Amino acid sequence: MDELLQALAQGFLVGSTYGLLALGMGLIYSVSGLVNFAHGDFFSLGMYLCFALFSAFALDPYVSLVITLPAMMLIGAGVYQFLIRPIAGHHLLMVIQLTLGLALLVQNGILMVFGGQFERTPSIVESKLVLLGPVVVRMPHVIACLASFGIAAALYVLLRSTDWGRAIRSVHQNAKAAALMGIDVGRVRMLTFAAGLGLLAIAAALIVPGTPMHPSLGLRYTVITLIVMVLGGMTNFVGIMLAGLVIGISEALGTIYLSDMLGMLMPYLIFVVIMLLRPQGLLKAA
Amino acid sequence: MLEVHGLTAGYGGNPVLEDVRIEIGRGKLVGLLGANNAGKSTFINCLSGVVPASSGRILFEGEDITRLSPKSRVERGIIQVPEGRLVFPDMSVRENLLLGGVNATARPRRAERIDYVLDLLPRLKERIGQAAGTLSGGEQQMLAIGRGLVAEPRLLMLDEPSLGLAPRFVQYVFEIIDKLHADGLTVLLVEQNLNLTLRHSDYCYVLERGRVVVEGVSAHVKDDPRTKSAYLGL
Ligand SMILES: Nc1ncnc2c1ncn2[C@@H]1O[C@H](COP(=O)(O)OP(=O)(O)OP(=O)(O)O)[C@@H](O)[C@H]1O
Ligand SMILES: [Mg+2]
Repeated sequence: MDELLQALAQGFLVGSTYGLLALGMGLIYSVSGLVNFAHGDFFSLGMYLCFALFSAFALDPYVSLVITLPAMMLIGAGVYQFLIRPIAGHHLLMVIQLTLGLALLVQNGILMVFGGQFERTPSIVESKLVLLGPVVVRMPHVIACLASFGIAAALYVLLRSTDWGRAIRSVHQNAKAAALMGIDVGRVRMLTFAAGLGLLAIAAALIVPGTPMHPSLGLRYTVITLIVMVLGGMTNFVGIMLAGLVIGISEALGTIYLSDMLGMLMPYLIFVVIMLLRPQGLLKAA
Repeated sequence: MLEVHGLTAGYGGNPVLEDVRIEIGRGKLVGLLGANNAGKSTFINCLSGVVPASSGRILFEGEDITRLSPKSRVERGIIQVPEGRLVFPDMSVRENLLLGGVNATARPRRAERIDYVLDLLPRLKERIGQAAGTLSGGEQQMLAIGRGLVAEPRLLMLDEPSLGLAPRFVQYVFEIIDKLHADGLTVLLVEQNLNLTLRHSDYCYVLERGRVVVEGVSAHVKDDPRTKSAYLGL
C-alpha cells in the first residue's frame, strides 16, 4: 500500500514537469502549427546551461534562471526569425526536417562542448526530503510540481483573459483574420516561440537538481513531450497538464511493479491505448 | 479620402490586378462589382496590406500607405470585414469584439465601441457568451461587421457581406450598411449582387479580369451595357 502511494506521489510530481515541458510545445504548436522536434534537445540545452553556470560560478540552478531564461528566449526568437520564418508556408515536411536538423545540431553542440559523460548539477535543496504521511519525496520534485502548476495556471489566465493571450489564440484560429485586426502575426509567432523556449529554461532549472544529464537524452524528452501534448489534445492546456500526470504516474507504477525497463515503456503503452480509445485526446480540444 | 493609382498586384508572378485606379471620397458609399475571380478580394487585400502591390500607389488622406504594414493601416482606420466572415470560431462573441478593438488606436475607447455595436446589432447581445463558431451564417456576418466597427473604422471595406445569406439577412445587412453610411462613415462595398449594390451605393466601379471596365454614378453604371457583359464574361 505504502509502495503504491509512494509511486503515485512520485509519478504525480514528475508528471507535472512533463506537463510543463508539453505546455511549451503546445504553445508553439498552437500559434505556428509547428511541431518542434528539437524541443527535448533545447530542454537539454537549458539543463547544460545550468550546469555550465554551476561549474563556472557555483550558481544554484534556481538562481541561474535569471540568466538561462532570457538566454533561452533570445535563442528561441533567433531560431524562429532566421531559420523557421523563412521556410514557414513551405511543405510541412521541410519544417519537420528543419527542427530535426536543429535537434541534431543542438545535441552535437552539447556533446562537443561538454563531452559524452553523464553530468549532474546539484542544488542546496537537492538532498532535502519531504514527508507526506507514509510517503517520502524529494524537495526539488515538490518545488518543480508546485512551480509547474503555478506556471500552468498563470499561462491559462494569460491566454484566457488578456489581449496578449487573445492575440495568440486569434493567430492560431485564423492568421489572416488576426492580421486584419492589426495583430502583427509574425511577431506573435516569434514571441510565442521565444516563450516556448523560456518555459523550457524554467523546466530545466526545476528538473536539473539531482537529475543526471547526457547529450543523447534530448530525443527521449522530445518523445515524452510529444506524447503528453498529443494525449492532452495538442492545444488544450488543461488536457496537457492532465496528460503529463497520466504519463508520469504510469511511468512510476511501471517502474515499481514491473521493472525499470518496462516502466520506461509504460507511457508509450498507455499512449497507444488511450489514442485508440480517444483519438481526440483526453479532453476535447479547446 | 482614398486614392489608388495604377495598382498592379498578383500571386507568384501571375498578375490579377492591372492598373486599377479608384477614388473614394469622404462619407461616400462606393461599390466595387465584378464576377467571380475578377480580383475584388485581391484589391481590398491590397488596401489592407495583406497582399503586396507590385506597382502603383495607395494614398489615404494624402499619405502614401502603399508600403505600410497591415497593422499600421488598421491603426489608421482602414478596416476590412473579410469575405467568408473569418470570425474566430472558438472564441466567444465578446472576445471576437474585443479583438476588433485590439489595435493601438481603438484600444482606449474599446468598451464604449462594444456597447455601441451591441446596440446597433442587438442579436449579438443575446449571443454574447456563445462561441462564434456556433452562430448561424447571418449572425456570424453580424459579428464580423460588429468586430470591424469596434476598430473605429474611417474607411470600412466589406467583402461580399451578403454572400450565402438568407434573403432576410441580406436585407438586414444592407439596412445596417445604409445606416452606417447615413451616419457619415466611408464605405467600400465589394459585391457580386449587382442590383442591390447599385441601389445602395453613391458610385460604382465594375472590375473585369483585374481591370476597371465601367465606373460612374450608380444609376449610370446600371444602364451601361459593359456592366452586363463584365458579369456574363462576354
Ligand atoms: N491566395 C491566392 N493565391 C493564388 N491565387 C489567388 C489567391 N487568391 C486569389 N487568387 C486568384 O486571383 C484571382 C482573383 O481572385 P479574387 O479572390 O481576388 O477574386 P474575387 O473577385 O474576389 O472573386 P470572388 O467573387 O469569387 O470572391 C483568381 O483567379 C484567384 O484564383
Ligand atoms: Mg472575393
